[in-house]
Amino acid sequence: MTGPFKIERRLDTPKWLKVAVPIASIFLAAIIVGILLLATGHNPFTTYHQMYSASVTADGALSSTFVYATPMLFTGLCAAFAFRMRTWNIGGEGQLYMGAVGASATGLVLGDWPRPLLIIAMILGGAFAGMLWAEIPALLRAYLRTNEILTSLMLNYVAGFFMYYLIYDSDSYWRDLSTPGASVFPTGKSLVPSASWPGITIGSFTIPMGFVLGVGLAVALLGLIRSTRYGFEMRVMGDSPQAANYSGIRTKRKILSVMAISGGIAGIAGSSQIGDFGHVLDPRGLEQAQYGYTGIVVAALALYNPLAVVLVSLLIGGLTNAGFALEGPSFPTGLVGTMEGIILFTVLGGEILARYRIGLHHRAPTTVGQAPASVTATGAAS
Amino acid sequence: MTDSVLDTGAGPAAPAAGAFPVAGLPADASGGSPKTLAIEAIEMTKRFPGVVANDRVSFAAAEGEVHALLGENGAGKTTLCNLLMGLYRPDEGKLFVGGKPVRFHSPRDAQDAGIFMVHQHLRLVESMTVAENVVLGWSPSRQLRFSPRKVETAVAEAAERFQMPVDPKARIWQLSLGERQRVEILKALYRGAKILILDEPTTVLTPQEAEQLFSSVHDMAGAGRTVIFISHKLPEVLSVADCVTILRQGRSITTVPTAGTDADDLAGLMVGREVSLEATTKVPDVPGPVVLELTGVSARGDLGAEALREVTLEVHAGEILGIAGVSGNGQRELAEVIAGLRPTTQGQVTVGGKQVPDGDPRAAIDIGIAYVPEDRMGTGISPNLTIAENLVLKSYRGKNMRRGPLLSTRKEIANAKVMIERFDIRAPGPRTLIRQLSGGNIQKVLLARELSSDPRVLVAASPTRGLDVGATQYVRGILAETARNGVAVMMVSEDLDEIFELSDRIAVFYNGRVVGVVSTAEANRQQIGLMMAGAS
Amino acid sequence: MNSNIIIAVVVSAIAFGTPLVLAGLGELLTERSGVLNLGVEGMMLMGAVCAFFVSQKLHWSSALVLLMAVLASMVAGAAMALIHAFLTITIRVNQIVSGLAITIFAGIIGLSTYLGEVWNIGGVAGLHQFNSVNLLGLKNLPIVGPIIFNEDAFVYGSWVLVAIVMFYLYRTRPGLYLRAVGENPAAADAMGINVTAYRYTHTIIGGMLAGLGGAYFTLALAPIWTDGLTSGDGWIAIALVIFAFWRPDLLVLGAYLFGIFSALGPTLQTRNITVLPSEFYSALPFLMTVIALAAASTSWANRRVGTPASLGIPYTREEG
Repeated sequence: MTGPFKIERRLDTPKWLKVAVPIASIFLAAIIVGILLLATGHNPFTTYHQMYSASVTADGALSSTFVYATPMLFTGLCAAFAFRMRTWNIGGEGQLYMGAVGASATGLVLGDWPRPLLIIAMILGGAFAGMLWAEIPALLRAYLRTNEILTSLMLNYVAGFFMYYLIYDSDSYWRDLSTPGASVFPTGKSLVPSASWPGITIGSFTIPMGFVLGVGLAVALLGLIRSTRYGFEMRVMGDSPQAANYSGIRTKRKILSVMAISGGIAGIAGSSQIGDFGHVLDPRGLEQAQYGYTGIVVAALALYNPLAVVLVSLLIGGLTNAGFALEGPSFPTGLVGTMEGIILFTVLGGEILARYRIGLHHRAPTTVGQAPASVTATGAAS
Repeated sequence: MTDSVLDTGAGPAAPAAGAFPVAGLPADASGGSPKTLAIEAIEMTKRFPGVVANDRVSFAAAEGEVHALLGENGAGKTTLCNLLMGLYRPDEGKLFVGGKPVRFHSPRDAQDAGIFMVHQHLRLVESMTVAENVVLGWSPSRQLRFSPRKVETAVAEAAERFQMPVDPKARIWQLSLGERQRVEILKALYRGAKILILDEPTTVLTPQEAEQLFSSVHDMAGAGRTVIFISHKLPEVLSVADCVTILRQGRSITTVPTAGTDADDLAGLMVGREVSLEATTKVPDVPGPVVLELTGVSARGDLGAEALREVTLEVHAGEILGIAGVSGNGQRELAEVIAGLRPTTQGQVTVGGKQVPDGDPRAAIDIGIAYVPEDRMGTGISPNLTIAENLVLKSYRGKNMRRGPLLSTRKEIANAKVMIERFDIRAPGPRTLIRQLSGGNIQKVLLARELSSDPRVLVAASPTRGLDVGATQYVRGILAETARNGVAVMMVSEDLDEIFELSDRIAVFYNGRVVGVVSTAEANRQQIGLMMAGAS
Repeated sequence: MNSNIIIAVVVSAIAFGTPLVLAGLGELLTERSGVLNLGVEGMMLMGAVCAFFVSQKLHWSSALVLLMAVLASMVAGAAMALIHAFLTITIRVNQIVSGLAITIFAGIIGLSTYLGEVWNIGGVAGLHQFNSVNLLGLKNLPIVGPIIFNEDAFVYGSWVLVAIVMFYLYRTRPGLYLRAVGENPAAADAMGINVTAYRYTHTIIGGMLAGLGGAYFTLALAPIWTDGLTSGDGWIAIALVIFAFWRPDLLVLGAYLFGIFSALGPTLQTRNITVLPSEFYSALPFLMTVIALAAASTSWANRRVGTPASLGIPYTREEG
């Protein structure tokens, strides 16, 4: 590379930069979208204000934001946890579907259990279903080294069709056949009232139990990753698979368990959809929502940090909420996705700034001792 | 086509081709006038940060000649070849091809001048056919069409013409290593190679394949091509090459025709006579009981060829066994087998009489084998984790690091502080990311970690490579002290000085076998050098 | 079985499969270079909306308008692909995330819908359409007539494209080099092939073809624009490429097979010939793909039919 400037990888990213860059990127995204709005005849300020009000300040706005944020929180955690270890689980969508199937089955079968136990059973039912669904690509990856991106993606479709079959094409246990209209307009069986998960009301808005559960999970995952032997092994594997092997880490088992946890979390997303919202298995709604794929994006924006996933899920949840709430002639449809996309581009691109820096040509970067090992490792004579 | 690479000689005081008196430049055997020089390098110098890889290296090879570049590790052979094939640009010096001065900016330029290199690491696409690989990236007539049949015919014809028998329709994964190498050579010949450089070509070949290769080399030379090959193996050099240039520590020592020399002479030149009989600094102790024992161990290398052939070795408590040998003769695989990172095909490894389960790193760690690998950055550490975390990379499973079900960060940090102090690791603190440290300090971290587990066996591979003087001394001191504490130490090193300084006994590796084990007190460099080069 | 049913099912399968063939060929080329593009759905929608915009607003002769619309769809797809290429190849962002970002950015909740509204082209019937042609005057032949000789230019174009891509991959130098880049970028690089250029080019071509696939909806199928018109076809195209093991011949067969399955289910049901539920048939190709992928991972099979080895992995040259 010629010229006086040189792009070199930073040896360490200062903490302030790690936080500042994503925030700056989001602001940049807001500016870019503002320009787009202007160019197409909208007033950016009123639009942003409308969105803010629809997602935070208006009556019931915040509660709605939480409704959208909850599934994204889970699927975001699902992706963040797996991606950290470079097991690319993009099957969160299908694992969510299976979780919903599992949770609604549990809720229907055990409908006469006392409420706390019923809710726990639903959580577990969904988690197990999601876990099992994730173990298929996990086993194939661990033992046959099959690419898990491709297999988990394929299984999303299979799960979707399975869900459809249960409600729209069979007289399955999940299907409500009690009313005369039911055979013409297929719907799922409603769960008993005690199967609905309680929300926490704070002043004017309600936080779904699922969200609280999700926050708890986020904290637990963070603790798992940072403070346990298990998490230590995960971090080594994600950093250097060779070092992991060298240090005696059982890599196959790790893949199986990380994918299981990841799939289980997505499964709980399904449970939450049944328990917090819906109370009935709704394949069409779940498929349209695409929470699983959105979760991957949430995880990426959160730079795979579980606590950041909580915040990002609220951001994207708020945007999504605003998009639906404002749907109508005075608000541009399609703005939400456009905005999310541009935020992603700026944040992902901005990450580059955090990893590299532009400096003037000089001999060797200053570090402790002498030149760092990576410099002398190249060009070794033989 | 070659205009861009011809330097019309505006450099300062560039000696004319052929004017430089290269020691021993061969006249042809009948005593007539010298053959045309195919390639001539004059005072080529190449520097890297901290090391001069080639220091005013000169050599020349004639057309139709088989020329060997002989030298130990670090002699500068590969660097020289990378200069010849255009991968590097020389800091100083001149290069002449066919009598004309040339300057290469890229391997493409060198290829235009007819110079091709066959690397140890083959560049072939396994799922494609031989024919497809031969023509990959080569469209001299700028033709867009690709007809498999036409290409296969052309390649079959070329294989015939150049006497490199391969089946153009075969897929690379179906071929043996020897055949794959032949494809690489055919690739070069097909593109008009006049000068062929082979980098340690017999490393992965069976003896029969090696014979076939040498016969091909002779054929190529007979057809007027020049073959340069890098080697550290004396028997090969003596039997195949017409001339040999000896390199040592970055300098070219001399060029001699192989006809008039023998193994002893060459070994002496390779190793350097000045240091033949030196008193060792190691005082031999009374050897303790055998701790580590290998019996008839064989193993395969990364490419599937046999890397270890029925190796039998033992290391006693309190001793340092130095493993000498030119790199690539199985030493790395030996270390990996002991550490459980590579499965064996035969034989067993025991520690204190107990057999170590094959190919299981965890079992090796648990039984008390510590391993400081050659590849520090890639295998030995987790580069984006902190010093403290790297220090517990193996001990995190143990009771000391626990606090209930959790991994105690406090204990981790405390442990790190102790280690940093004891091993004099220069770092801002235990939470520093390990990749920010210098090579020497990273090595200290590795040693600290491995030794803190109180091992019975320590395998250290190239422990001081790339380190500065201070760090090197320090590391050597640690190794000596470790042995004094009763640990059985096996040290693989390419540096003979180091081997002599630290080892009680020396085992020499050649071609995957142990060709000799001598006590340091009775050994001399000449003898070791000969064994390393396969000539004794 | 009544020949009319067969004809109806096959014609419907071809209609279903054509956008899949187009977008699938694009994704095939992209993945053959080693780049995974999950943004196909977004690129198809951008192609669809831009094509429709041109078709509605350009007041030239029908043939010319359609041509410009087709070009517009390809440009739109290429633009989206350029973003993906830049992010993944130059900046080395995770390919999964970048692809999903494009799908969200340009998809049903994003830019394509936004533009559809801004341009005010939704819900109105298209002014121009690719009509079925009577090829060689043979449209009235029994059975094959309506199926083969009565399709529109898009369908015929897709068949020609399949042939072109097959020829490109297996009978040209650039095609050979492309396959090498996907299999072993280091070896290709060592042989002087510009890996970055190949990846950029084929990602962009992939986007162009995805855009073209989207245009089928608004220019041929039922020319009208609604948000999210392609209803997930982009995702099916991605699955299809894997199902076809990156081979164009299997791709086109697979596309029509998917089409038959999706048409067959409801058809059989209305005639009460149901042994297995239609969702089973729909899910079957995906299940088969998973099994095939697992089988292909064994080294025996991997050498013969495997995944492009470098798929999804950014390439860095290791300097000596």
